[in-house]
Amino acid sequence: MAAEVKPYQRVYKQSEAEEEDPRQHLMLDPRPREEMNHMVMEAMTTTSRRYWIIVGALAVAVAVLLFGAWGNMIFTGMGMAGIRRPVFWGVFIVTFVFWIGISHAGTFVSAILRVFKAEFRRPFTRAAELMTTFGLAAGALYPLIHLGRVWVFYWMIPYPNSRWLWPNFRSALVWDFLAITTYLLSSTIYLYLPLIPDVAMARDRSTGWRHTLYKLLALGFRGTEAEWTRIRKAINIFAFAIIPVMFSVHTIVSWDFASTKVVGWQSTIFGPYFIIGAILSGVSAVITILFVLRYTLKNMDYFIREEHFDALGLLVLIFSMAWAYFFYNEYLLHWYGGGTVLKQLLTLHASGPSAWVWYLMLACNVAVPWLTLWNKKLRRTPWAIFIVSILINVGMYAERYTIIPLTLGHQRFPFDWGEYTPRLTEISIALGTLCLFVLLYLLASRLIPLIPVWEVQEGQESHRLRKVGKTQVPSVSELE
Amino acid sequence: MAEVTEEKMKWGMAIDLDVCTGCNACVTACAMENNIPFTGEDESGYGRGLHWIRIQRYWHGDYPEIKPDYSPMLCQQCGNAPCEPVCPVFAAVHSEEEQINLQVYNRCIGTRYCANNCPYLSRVFNWFDYEIPEPMAYYLNPSVTVRRRGVMEKCTFCVQRIHAGQEQAKAEGRPVQDGDIVPACAQACPTDAIIFGDLSDPQSRVSQMARSQRSFRQLEELGTEPRVIYLKGGGQYGG
Amino acid sequence: MTQKYTRREFIKLSGLTAAAAAVLTGCGPASRYVVRRPYTDMPEYQQTGLSTYFATTCRECPAGCGLIVRTHEGRAIKVEGNPAHPVNRGKVCSRGLTAVQGLYNPDRITGPLQNGSEISWDQAVAQVSEALKADPQGVAFFLGLAPDHLFDLVSELTAALGAPPPVRYGAYGMFDARRTLTEAAKLTFGVPSMPFFDLGESDFILSFGANFLETWVSPLAYARGLSQMRRGKNNARGRLVVIEPRQSVTSGTADLWLAPAPGTEALVAAALANLVAARLGLSLPDDLASVDPKEAAAAAGIAFEKLQEVAAGFASARAPLALPGGSALAHANGLAAARAVLVLNALVKNLGRPGGVFLTPADPAASSFADVQDLVARMNAGKIHTLFIHGVNPVFELPAALGFAAALKKVPQVVSFASFPDETAALSTLVLPDHTLLESWGYQRTLAGADREAYSAAQPVVVPLHNTRAAADVLLSAARQLPTLAAALPYADEVEFLQARLLPLLESRKGFYDAPEILTFWSQWLQYGGWWPQRAGLEAPIVAELYAAAAPLTPPAPLASGELHFYTYPTQLGDGSGANRPWLQETPDPMTTVMWNSWVEIHPETAAKLGIHDDDVVKIVSASGEIEAVAYLYPAIRPDTVAVPFGQGHSALGRYAEGRGANPAALLPLSVNESGDLSFGDTRVSVQPTGQRRPLSRMENRHGVYDHAE
Repeated sequence: MAAEVKPYQRVYKQSEAEEEDPRQHLMLDPRPREEMNHMVMEAMTTTSRRYWIIVGALAVAVAVLLFGAWGNMIFTGMGMAGIRRPVFWGVFIVTFVFWIGISHAGTFVSAILRVFKAEFRRPFTRAAELMTTFGLAAGALYPLIHLGRVWVFYWMIPYPNSRWLWPNFRSALVWDFLAITTYLLSSTIYLYLPLIPDVAMARDRSTGWRHTLYKLLALGFRGTEAEWTRIRKAINIFAFAIIPVMFSVHTIVSWDFASTKVVGWQSTIFGPYFIIGAILSGVSAVITILFVLRYTLKNMDYFIREEHFDALGLLVLIFSMAWAYFFYNEYLLHWYGGGTVLKQLLTLHASGPSAWVWYLMLACNVAVPWLTLWNKKLRRTPWAIFIVSILINVGMYAERYTIIPLTLGHQRFPFDWGEYTPRLTEISIALGTLCLFVLLYLLASRLIPLIPVWEVQEGQESHRLRKVGKTQVPSVSELE
Repeated sequence: MAEVTEEKMKWGMAIDLDVCTGCNACVTACAMENNIPFTGEDESGYGRGLHWIRIQRYWHGDYPEIKPDYSPMLCQQCGNAPCEPVCPVFAAVHSEEEQINLQVYNRCIGTRYCANNCPYLSRVFNWFDYEIPEPMAYYLNPSVTVRRRGVMEKCTFCVQRIHAGQEQAKAEGRPVQDGDIVPACAQACPTDAIIFGDLSDPQSRVSQMARSQRSFRQLEELGTEPRVIYLKGGGQYGG
Repeated sequence: MTQKYTRREFIKLSGLTAAAAAVLTGCGPASRYVVRRPYTDMPEYQQTGLSTYFATTCRECPAGCGLIVRTHEGRAIKVEGNPAHPVNRGKVCSRGLTAVQGLYNPDRITGPLQNGSEISWDQAVAQVSEALKADPQGVAFFLGLAPDHLFDLVSELTAALGAPPPVRYGAYGMFDARRTLTEAAKLTFGVPSMPFFDLGESDFILSFGANFLETWVSPLAYARGLSQMRRGKNNARGRLVVIEPRQSVTSGTADLWLAPAPGTEALVAAALANLVAARLGLSLPDDLASVDPKEAAAAAGIAFEKLQEVAAGFASARAPLALPGGSALAHANGLAAARAVLVLNALVKNLGRPGGVFLTPADPAASSFADVQDLVARMNAGKIHTLFIHGVNPVFELPAALGFAAALKKVPQVVSFASFPDETAALSTLVLPDHTLLESWGYQRTLAGADREAYSAAQPVVVPLHNTRAAADVLLSAARQLPTLAAALPYADEVEFLQARLLPLLESRKGFYDAPEILTFWSQWLQYGGWWPQRAGLEAPIVAELYAAAAPLTPPAPLASGELHFYTYPTQLGDGSGANRPWLQETPDPMTTVMWNSWVEIHPETAAKLGIHDDDVVKIVSASGEIEAVAYLYPAIRPDTVAVPFGQGHSALGRYAEGRGANPAALLPLSVNESGDLSFGDTRVSVQPTGQRRPLSRMENRHGVYDHAE
């Protein structure tokens, strides 16, 4: 019996091509330069009564929740927090790792996507970079907050002194301190470099104190060919240079744990595991912020579109899978390779009194993204993906909570196991840093152009719709 | 007066679990010698008591064949101490002279990293400044400093007594003899379960006990080289 | 007033010592009075920056251990054991260690008080003298358990006055059932003596509820004995078997713990006596022989094979020894139990042999509970016009059912010598605070833990902190104002009285030091911390009539439904006077690791049946009263028994003690055994959950210790 072979016939559906309007892509929906500049300027300068009320409320919250509670703790003692023997680190370090994690996405989105020329990055690189800087600003407070004697914190810094006393370079905390400082410095420069053309634009379109400020920040940028070449080069160098710094920071944060003798912390996989987790939480946080920006800042629905949520949603899905891979890897090796203590610990994570944290982590980090983000429609529904992004950060917080207090509480001597309950002071300080982050972001949104307008314009320059037969096909030309 | 050459001693402790009754006299003795503040019911119940030595009590078996298993736990004065490398400011340091782990209260900034990394959980933290009402502070030992809030502390092997004993011996122009120096816990121990001495002297009581067939060290597999040697209890003899 | 000490302030404080207090004692015949000296004129032994050590005697319990107290520029710093002392040999327990927290307790009574208002010592002495003038039959003294110099002085005083002899009783006597033990010794050996048990030389110890590692008679001496026994001669490790319903530190350390139903200890002892006698081919008196070992084992709820195993071990040991502890004797059949245990010793012929039983120097036995009941009856009848109370806190320590507090109201003049504002002082009309032990002179006779006749010396190590005065001095001053007494008590002060009483020791020439006259003797007495012979030696008991008949042994009545046996025991807080020492409170209980509170030990099975969880507040009701305390699921107690530790539940005694836990004395009955000791072991209770929860402060973790016992 001869087989019946049907020739392959491509069925061309008219509707498919027509369904997708190319103009829904920002890159293919150009507007005149001046209009776009104006839109960004308008977004920056428009403030409502509601804005100032929120800023005021946040400022009060930062003063009370963060500095009030912290000040009180400095004067009374660390005992105001719920930490105890054997859980000597609690919410402070959890929140510290959380913020450092959040701060990763800025660089990731901006530098890695820039290096790989991912075009969808263009409108939100600045938003992501700002997140890095402010996330670090919030996170970098914690190494100070968690000190028993914060008034001598500078003993951690290598500075020349009459006693010839140096910090202990064998301590992961010193590495941490140095890595975070380096990262804060380099990410701030990396935020600043692409900002220069934008503040120059703003300088030319503003008056009064704004003009003075932007004049100062723009460093005399006029947009000559030479200036553009130099700034491109500088951005490129920093984009490449900051990637290893970013990797090193979270690896070193993970070494705070991995280089100890604590059961459940000693793990060679902690470095990449922490990085993946950080990127997962960071990219989710970018989604959260873009959603908020889109609905609170003027003219943002032009710049931030469903396609961006779509692309970021895909990234989150990928990193959620990567995170699950690392989690599983770590869990499996601990389960089979670890001793009795480690097995007890893992059992307690999953069945102890705080097991809900562990399940929350798995639900938010794995179940939620896997069950939702495969769906393009959902990815393109801003409020839906907003909720998913928040849940993922809840899950990542739960992950750090599991790793730190829930692991410390169940070490080698069952006699000394201890349950840790966060107390008002540390919850207040954690919320305080969240308020600080939002406050800084709110202030920055009215001070600097949140959209790197030159990057958007550059992208729109290079994107064209070309007619191929009956359809229009997008094409990109290399400008550099 | 004869010249006495100072030799470095390796201080160690042996705890015979066969005669340890778990009576907790060492706990009180340590507190009274080392100016350890009391923290009250709520704080001590929340794992914030400042006991430098504590007796771990485990239950063995089921009623009626049940038996407690006591294990006095204190700083093991590790030769390779996990607390030392993690301190960013060298507050947890190894002393060349006494071969013990020191906690320099003045240098401590309170990261509590050392406490996390101590597998024996023998470090405690001053969560607050603890109040000692008048005139109770009169009994504070002038040889031991009081600690303020925000610093770690732990067993010192009663380093003030080691120094006092060495000075006494030096003044008398003789070397330090076995039994000259006794930390507060060993001094109080009603059954003499705790023996202290120089591990570098093979004739010292503690060295002899360390060679016992019953001897073991806590969490030896971690390679911390503890200076506290335990002797198995419960009538278990031999390897 | 409270003060936080920073390190800097502390250095200042310890450097300046503004009060410049130093003590002139310890050396030389002039060392009689305690005086304050200016800082510029220190005695020669006092060197700035160096510590001075004084020997004295611990009075935290009646064991009479020797202490060496480190003082530094006039302050008592640290209590250490006296290495030469025959009782404790340099060791010291938690109670003794915290003596400085008693001395420097912020809640001490700072001067004499009458009905709460301050008076002068002259007024106070006049009042006492007034009281001694009145009808001598109406004067009563209630003293603590220790056979100390004050007891001797008061005995002389009452004899001269024609008043009834002092009552000497306290919680320790109650828990050890000391009168029962001395009665049994009298029945068996013909001497009413507190026996000394040579644990160190023994190789098989069989203890019937003697918690000798915690409070029984002389815990440090017996703990040392256990240590020697365990370490053994030629590495022959001795064995310890403990028979008691609830696992204590002692039975926790034991090689075998058997839990008989409370009240069946006598039967178990008799059963073991039968088994041992059968193995050794000896015969027993009828009353013991009539006990069937199998039935006894069944009544006690112990496997018969275990009893056989114990009997075999006991009979074949080189130096077996049986101890009659308080919880075994505090039953209606307590005397029979004590006698059966002593008979066990007699069967293996360990009397007067190394590792056996000895007699301590005869001593007027401590009072029994019946004597206290008699005193209360006289108080209630209005026959007593003045009651002197020293060294005991009867309102707290005695069963609430006795109604001591109510009886106090019937006494017009109650004189308390308490150093601390305890429950009894609160109900006294006159409070004449005595020095605490580190500020006072004295001696203690009859050290039941010493292997020889010994006297322990007490001397002040610091200048008295407050306006307090030695009770002996108050009584002597008062007596001097009465012509009749002045002749009978011709002592100028406490020290002269002490020296007069020490003269016979000097003259006996049996001590390890010798002196030509009393002052030289005195200086050595103070320096060494007492007087004792060079070599150990105690009288061997002689069994005059081993087989004297006693009442037949009866098992206790079975439990009614919903009823549980009740067990109480003293902890490191001792008779409750330790509750105001913060570090005694913060030192975990060895078995439960609970700090700062009372708990109810309930077997997990029983708790499950009653619907009680860990940390639930439960109500315990007995025929005498009820208390509320927090449940602790304790795996090492008989399921038909609940236990509450003694020592907490103070309504007075200062900030560290008040309002903490519950006092089980509220539950105790008034029934006494044949010897007149309180048979508190026969208490029966019911336990109900209250629905409240209050987590106990514990050292152990709240989860997992049971499950992860490896």
